[in-house]
Amino acid sequence: MINKLLIANRGEIVPRIIRTCREMGIATVAVHSEADKDAPFLSQADQTVNIGPANPAQSYLSMEAIIDAARQTGADAVHPGYGFLSERGAFAQAVTDAGLTWVGPPPSVLKAISSKVYARKLAVEVGAEVTPGTLDPVSGPEEVVAFGSEHGYPLFLKLDKGGGGKGIERVSEPGQAAEVFKRACSIGEMAFGSPACYIETEVVRPRHIEVQFIADAAGHVVCLGERECSIQRRHQKIIEEALSPVVDEATRAKLYADTAAIVKKMGYVGAGTLEGLRTKNGDHYFMEVNARLQVEHPVSEFLTGVDIVRSQLEVAMGGELPWSQSEIKTQGHAIEARVYAEDPDTFYPSPGVITKVVFPEIGDNLRVDHALADGCTVPPYYDPMLAKVIAYDQTRAKAIARLVEALRAFQVVGVKTTIPVNLRILEHPQFQAGDMDTSFIAKQLGLV
Amino acid sequence: MEKSVNAIMPGLCARVVVNQGDKVSAGQEVAVINCMKTEISVKSEFDGTVSKVISKEWDEMQVGDPMVMLEVEE
Repeated sequence: MINKLLIANRGEIVPRIIRTCREMGIATVAVHSEADKDAPFLSQADQTVNIGPANPAQSYLSMEAIIDAARQTGADAVHPGYGFLSERGAFAQAVTDAGLTWVGPPPSVLKAISSKVYARKLAVEVGAEVTPGTLDPVSGPEEVVAFGSEHGYPLFLKLDKGGGGKGIERVSEPGQAAEVFKRACSIGEMAFGSPACYIETEVVRPRHIEVQFIADAAGHVVCLGERECSIQRRHQKIIEEALSPVVDEATRAKLYADTAAIVKKMGYVGAGTLEGLRTKNGDHYFMEVNARLQVEHPVSEFLTGVDIVRSQLEVAMGGELPWSQSEIKTQGHAIEARVYAEDPDTFYPSPGVITKVVFPEIGDNLRVDHALADGCTVPPYYDPMLAKVIAYDQTRAKAIARLVEALRAFQVVGVKTTIPVNLRILEHPQFQAGDMDTSFIAKQLGLV
Repeated sequence: MEKSVNAIMPGLCARVVVNQGDKVSAGQEVAVINCMKTEISVKSEFDGTVSKVISKEWDEMQVGDPMVMLEVEE
């Protein structure tokens, strides 16, 4: 049983998790840094604890401060949200060692999948496809040159422990192999604690397609549809939708089967996402597991009617999933726009005070996940995401139209927001036709 | 005379890229601020020599906070 849950995060995900806890009769503890002491995300928690200075290294990333806060308040479980410590095996371990329930995959699984080489190999072993490249770490520049002469250039050296778009080094011709290999190893050593890297070939203008799943300790895995997240800028997702306009039934069945096989083989328990790429030919390559609740989870919730946070909590308490795969229905279309506190032309950050906020009309088919209020501060120390607006309807065109209407009604005064960019994307004929890939923002909108 | 190079955005100091004694010229990057996960370059307005490095990684910065002091010839 979980009686009191500590949420080790900040911003919109805190009230999102609290909403489900209230429905389940679970008390909540929200933690905050000095910079967030008056933040609206704290208002619905039963208790709040100041865990340190604005600097996230001393607050939201401090395992010790968070576990102390759990002890102080008598919380018996920790939900890490996304980002911060959510995929840190050492934190999951520390939470478990403190006698608390960890709402996430087991610490050993988190530690193992922090290695991309491990995850790629495992995917291949169960018959999934991965981006062509090496399955083992590269021994030296000679191997890079040998690979290049067989498969061509450019190729990419990717750090085994890299992530979030970091730790990817391009090799355009054999003459660069030695220098790039040395640089990759040194970045890996310094930033990620391991020099190991492997090779991937280039996938030209792919679509980003990911599968939401949830697994229980009894070995059941259920997929909650795929999401298409091809609209990105610098590896940051902007628009997400489900289902993908291009994935057909047969492909979906294969993606589900691959996902279940990978997740089972990993011993994964909890909610997660398998991220992948879809090539122009329609091949799907497994990329990595996101071992947490994802920012874009509401899209899948609209699509399936499943409360993913509730499932996370139930599975963390040792419960079994209440449905089989065939009982999961994906109906209609859901689409989400992330609103960032950034200049819509330059994407320059725009921290400050929100003097006034006017929300679109919330209803059964429109959801706004946020932690905003008139007069609230958007601190310069954390992620720029302000809110997520999610629309649902029977068809993709109707869902897009509903989202456009909502974004037009959404007013945030005092800081700049990316709402105008969201509208440009959603109203672009090519987007509306479902014809997009990860270069859309740069190529179609001319923004970088 | 001594002049300061100041933070142009609020955020956290990501790094100072010069050391005491370094010669810098106007327009040269001396520090980087992390504002909402975006790295913002802080450049010197003057030619001069670094007399003191004030900021360090993770320091909380407000606009106008001095990050590096320069000895500037008049």
